[in-house]
Order: sequence, then C-alpha cells, then structure tokens
Amino acid sequence: MDALTLPPVIELTGVTKRYKDTKAVDGVTLRIDGGKIYGLLGRNGAGKTTLMSILTAQDPETSGTVRVFGQHPYENDAVLSRMCFIRESQKYPGDFTPAQAFKSASLFFANWDQDFADRLVEEFALPLKRRIKKLSRGQLSAVGVVIGLAARAELTFFDEPYLGLDAFARQIFYDRLVEDYSRHPRTIILSSHLIDEVANLLEHVLLIDQGRIILDDDAENIRGSAVTVTGEETNVAAFTAGRTVLHRERLGSLASVTMEARLGSADRARAADLGLELSPVSLQQFVVRKTTAAAGRAGVEPRTVTEPSELEVAP
Amino acid sequence: MNRAVSVARMQLINKWTFLGIPALIIAGSFALTYAIWLILPSDADTRVSGAAQSVVWYFLALGIQSLTYTFPFSQAMSVSRRTFFIGTTGLFAVVALGISLLYFVLGRVELATNGWGQNGQLYFLGWAAESPAAVQILFNFLVMLALYMTGFWFATVYKRWRATGMLVAWSIIAVVLVGLIALAGWQGWWPQVGAWFAAQTPLSVSGWTALLCAALAVGSYLTLRRATP
Repeated sequence: MDALTLPPVIELTGVTKRYKDTKAVDGVTLRIDGGKIYGLLGRNGAGKTTLMSILTAQDPETSGTVRVFGQHPYENDAVLSRMCFIRESQKYPGDFTPAQAFKSASLFFANWDQDFADRLVEEFALPLKRRIKKLSRGQLSAVGVVIGLAARAELTFFDEPYLGLDAFARQIFYDRLVEDYSRHPRTIILSSHLIDEVANLLEHVLLIDQGRIILDDDAENIRGSAVTVTGEETNVAAFTAGRTVLHRERLGSLASVTMEARLGSADRARAADLGLELSPVSLQQFVVRKTTAAAGRAGVEPRTVTEPSELEVAP
Repeated sequence: MNRAVSVARMQLINKWTFLGIPALIIAGSFALTYAIWLILPSDADTRVSGAAQSVVWYFLALGIQSLTYTFPFSQAMSVSRRTFFIGTTGLFAVVALGISLLYFVLGRVELATNGWGQNGQLYFLGWAAESPAAVQILFNFLVMLALYMTGFWFATVYKRWRATGMLVAWSIIAVVLVGLIALAGWQGWWPQVGAWFAAQTPLSVSGWTALLCAALAVGSYLTLRRATP
C-alpha cells in the first residue's frame, strides 16, 4: 500500500470527555500522521492521560469522533493490537513478577522482541523474579518502559514513564527509545512534564491545557518561534509593540518580555540599536509561557469563545 | 479468537492462583476427610462428607480474582473487553468442566472401593444417583460456573461503580428477596413453594442454574463493556 492512501494514524474531531461536571478533554480536533516521536506536554491534570485513554479505548470519549488507523478503537481488537499504552498508574495482576508480565506481553504484541526486553531488564537492573507489588516506584516504571519499548507497537504511548527513575535510568530510556525508534520507525507519543529532558527527542509537540490542544507544531518550528527580549523598559515596549507577548517581567527600569516572533536580520539590528538583548527560549520555557498565556486569555473571555486558531503559532 | 486464547494463557501464566490453589484444596479436603474417617469409629451408615464442596466455593473467589487482578492489565495488553471476557470465562468454564469430570470419576471410584474403604461418601452425589452420568457431571459444572459468574459479576460491578455499586446491588438483592418472602407469606403460597422445591429433579436444578449462569454472564459482559481500568 502506498503511504499516501493510508489514513492518518490518529484523527480526532471535536472529542470531549466529561466526568460529572468537568471536561477532562474539551472539543479536541487533532490529526497525527504518524512516523514521528510526539511529545504530549501539559500540566498535571491538563488531560494528557485522558486523551491517551480515549485513543486506546481504555476510557472512551463522551462525544466526538475518534479514528485510530482509520477506525474507532473501542472493542476493536484489530486496531487495539497495533497499539501499546502502559498507564503511569498501571495495575498488574497481584502476584505477577516482571518476568510474567513480559511473558504476557509476548502473547499479545506481534512485534515483541524478547532479546531487546532482556537487554533492557539488565540495563535497568530489574529483579525479574520479585513480585511486582514489592517493586519500588522506579522499578515499577521500568516494567512499563520495558513493555512499551519491547512491544514495538506501531503506535506506542508512554505516560510519564520516568516516575521514580533516577537520572541514569531516565537517560537509558531516552537513549534506547531513540536508538530503537531509528531502527524500527513507528509512532511514539510521549507524555511528559520534564520538558527540557525530552526536548531533544521530540519531533513534534502537542501542548494540552485544560483539555484543549493549544499548540500542535513541529519541534523545529517551535524552536526559534519565540524570543526573550531584555533591556530598558521603554525600549523593550517599543520593540515588542504589536507582537504576541507570552510573558512579561520587570525589575526596576529593566524589562524582560517573551514574545512569539521569528526575527529577521532587520529586527536583530534594531534590537542592537535599542540596546536590547535577545535570548532564545527553551521548549520548556515556551510551553510554560504559552500555557500561562492561554490561561490568562481564558480568564478574560469565556473558554468556549476562545478560538483555537488564535492560540496557534504563526507558521 | 486467537487473542481470546492468549487471554486464557495469560490467566494461566501464574499457575499457582488459578490451578495450584484449587488442586491443593481438592487434595487437602480429601486428605482431611479421610483422616477424620480413620479417627472416627465406623458404624453401619454411610458417612457423608461435604468437604468436596470446598473447591466449588473457591470458584466464587476465582471469579473475583480473575477480573480484579487481570482486567486492568489486559487493557494495557491492548485486549478488547469482549476478548477479555470470552478468554477468561471460557478458561474457567473449562477448569470447572475438568473438575466436574474428575469428581464424577472419583465418585465412581468411591462406589467401587466401598467409600475409600471407609464407607464414606465424598464425591458421589447420592441424591442424583438415579440421574444419567451426564446430568451428574453437568450439575457440578453448572454450580461451579454459577459461583464463578457470581464472583465475576460482583467484581465487574465493583470495578465500574465501586462501593456505590456494591451498596446498590446488595440493596436491590435484599429488597427483592424480602419482597418475595413477604409476598409468599401474604398470599399463603408457602405450601406451593415447598411443593415446587420438592418437585425439582437434578436436571431441572441444572436448568435453573444454567439460566442463572446465563443471566450473570450477560450482566457481567454488559457491565464490563463500560468499565475502565
């Protein structure tokens, strides 16, 4: 089959998930073509896990249209079998050991690679014969990471996979993820709030806030789409006039403003004339500023009126 | 269908909970009963023991465990709820059938050995002795399956609605039972009720049990359809 004739990996239209009086996911429309490492970023409670639960039909949507590999995933073994989603709070059968959990995964995931799983177990120093309920939080996370990686599902979700893992173990995860992904390209959706740590892995960023997607762009586009301008307050004000300001800080007569803009050489020259310092914005800063700015705007006008388009980064 | 078989295999990965403990209960209940027969002086009457029922009751626990332990994990294994249901209940139906066949054979051995040489009756269903072998096997099988489905159904209700679900379910059961008893007393139906129970045969009891199993299976499946891990 030609890649062009295949449906997108994920297609959501107006998807909402309501719990009693809150909307965990609020009218999300999203298309993911696949074949990349996607970062699903956002604050705790922003709707990351709920969105992944909808996509894997673990907790189906209240309304809207969900398509994964062109079909609805609910009770659809053909679609489900191509996905893997280990929850951050994944429960395992009470007396299972990691070895038994991996044995189980090998029954269900067609691409399961036992050698790869064994190597990962060794690297994470995971005790294979200890009962899962006796494992530490980090070891528990490692069980999920091993299943998620070795399953090699066409669409793999990692839900805050690093909880309790130390910096070394996290690095192992990132390295193995990138290595294995380059050898076996697939679609990976990584939910995280350790944004700086994963920034270099991500090819595409989805930012979710209060159940809405407020940013959906290639990581490459985002890098350099915002800049922090620092200098004398009036000069900063003059330079940033008419721009989309994400964040403002003031210290005496000095101001520091983060704004969305791609600066050309003319802009840079003007900034130099005004004695302004331009500094790049890290993905983490950008995401934090963007989320805060969206919250500020939502405070001014009712959330239902906010057009998603006005929150999007200019191409 | 393949995935349903995989679900059954997944349930059996930890053989201890779902096969080891039942086997231990069967062996243990026999050993204990036999020991008691040896200790107590024998008289002319057949010495009937209900110890063989213990593994039958364990099916209630199996029903609860096979759902609570494994359903959330099966979701992570990308298994649909339907496939999980078919694979899991199918597996325990097979286990129940296996035990029923074993009990039937043990019942025949019991008859042939004069009650294990102790004039005992542990596996042979005295009250169903007149019924065909198939009915005796079917009766044990359906009782185990009914207990299994009862445990499974309660576990799905708890999984989906938590404590509220339990409270509502038990309240409804209590109200219905009390209501039926009150109705029977008020209408003076007790003689007829007694006659109805007396008229039941092993086959008709099996039939009612099968009906209960079917109702519980449908109820569990519909509840599970919307349960979240």
